[in-house]
Amino acid sequence: MTNLTLNVNGEIRSASVPPETTLLDLLRDYFSLTGAKRGCDVGDCGACTVIVDGKPVNACLMLAGQAHGRAVLTIEGLATRERLHPIQTAFEERAALQCGFCGPGVILSAKALLERNPNPTVRDIRDAISGNLCRCTGYTKMIEAIQEAARALRGETRERAVPVPVEGARP
Amino acid sequence: MKRRGRGIACMWYPIGFTVAANPSAATVKVNEDGTATLLTGTVETGQGSLTVLGQIAAEALGIATEDVHVVSADTDTTPMDTGAIASRTTYVTGNAVRLAAENACAILFEVAAPMLGVRADQLEARDRKIQVKGFPQRHLPIGHVAHHAQVVKGQPPIGSASWNPPTVAMDPETGQGKPFNTYVYATQIAEVDVDDETGEVEVVRIAAAHDCGTAINPMLVEGQIQGGIAMGIGFALQEEILFDAAGRQLNPNLTNYIVPTSLDMPEIEVDIVENYDPTGPFGAKGVGEPTSVPTAAAIANAIYDAVGVRVTALPATAEKVLAAIKEKRARQQNKPQSLPL
Repeated sequence: MTNLTLNVNGEIRSASVPPETTLLDLLRDYFSLTGAKRGCDVGDCGACTVIVDGKPVNACLMLAGQAHGRAVLTIEGLATRERLHPIQTAFEERAALQCGFCGPGVILSAKALLERNPNPTVRDIRDAISGNLCRCTGYTKMIEAIQEAARALRGETRERAVPVPVEGARP
Repeated sequence: MKRRGRGIACMWYPIGFTVAANPSAATVKVNEDGTATLLTGTVETGQGSLTVLGQIAAEALGIATEDVHVVSADTDTTPMDTGAIASRTTYVTGNAVRLAAENACAILFEVAAPMLGVRADQLEARDRKIQVKGFPQRHLPIGHVAHHAQVVKGQPPIGSASWNPPTVAMDPETGQGKPFNTYVYATQIAEVDVDDETGEVEVVRIAAAHDCGTAINPMLVEGQIQGGIAMGIGFALQEEILFDAAGRQLNPNLTNYIVPTSLDMPEIEVDIVENYDPTGPFGAKGVGEPTSVPTAAAIANAIYDAVGVRVTALPATAEKVLAAIKEKRARQQNKPQSLPL
């Protein structure tokens, strides 16, 4: 067994796991953090993307032991009880997700991008989420939402503390 | 060198089933606080159909979309629905929801008429009120009427309805009939760059004009079109299930069954061509599946426009396009000079 201690979403967590346990298994099965999705389980789809020490990684390709002593951010660590993260708000307001299975991975890839590049071009955004497969949306609204979130995080738009429901009805 | 080409493709697509009945049912109850609860058997798969159904109920009751609580897809308790298939939810389930809401509203009108001193047919539901047509200052809050209906009149404002698109079976002699109750239409234009040395095709831009009747939620319509185009691009250029002689799939994973990524997606221009279908809820039809129908054809036509070759079996991979270009060149070189062109 491997004994490990790591920072998960700001909390110090410890576990004793078989050495072949992946970070994805650790998060989902030991810590009950099921936001990181098990899609292909071989690093193709990006549904399990989490942020480790600021870098987006496929949690299915990283051993839990490799995360020992490091800081892991999952989708559960993004929103607070009071409010969504600006990226999540932008995704909600622009209907950037449909079935949503790829959502946690896309949003975390976007977060890692915006932390190292607060003013990305469309090309930068396409590159940053190119490891996250989405079957529903065609990515268009995701790219728009990430641009919108970038503006909000740069303080160029007023953020809403409570997202209002999207209303598309016409009079 | 890279050669640019443009191609166009048009389509029509039927909404709902033919031959088999495909009913939807719904129940709407208006609550004493002025909100409403909608029960529907259909399922949300991310396309936003429950939002649209909530909007339809809200429009029929004159309340806001956020006032409608949608309960869906519990086969123990929700009314029957044929399903989120055949691009039918907005049209078929939407009609059932609209009728159910109108039935609930009729009870509110009946109860409110003596309260406002008018006939029921002189009333309308707007802005969370039951009001006299032409005299909106004479009104009662919808929740007040719902409460009165329940505790004074003993007539809870609950409406249920079902709807099945009327079709006429095709005559076996003449082939004539009305197989579907309504259709949608669309045109897509693809602009591609084809590398004539490698055969690689890049889709640069897609313009998509779609008729869906009334676009009840234009943002969701756009989302459906953009997603459908992504699937159409995969169908056109990348996606192919390969089998060995024993019928086993050779590429059963995303490493070698290649679906479009964010880097494969072109610029997409969406044009919603709105019109009003009198048989749909508030004029709406549907938009789901039709969005991926014309994409591959438009791309194949654009490839022909760019390099003059017809790819007749999809996907138009670089290998296939290059082989077609080489074959065309060989044909041109071997052509005897004496034959007329």
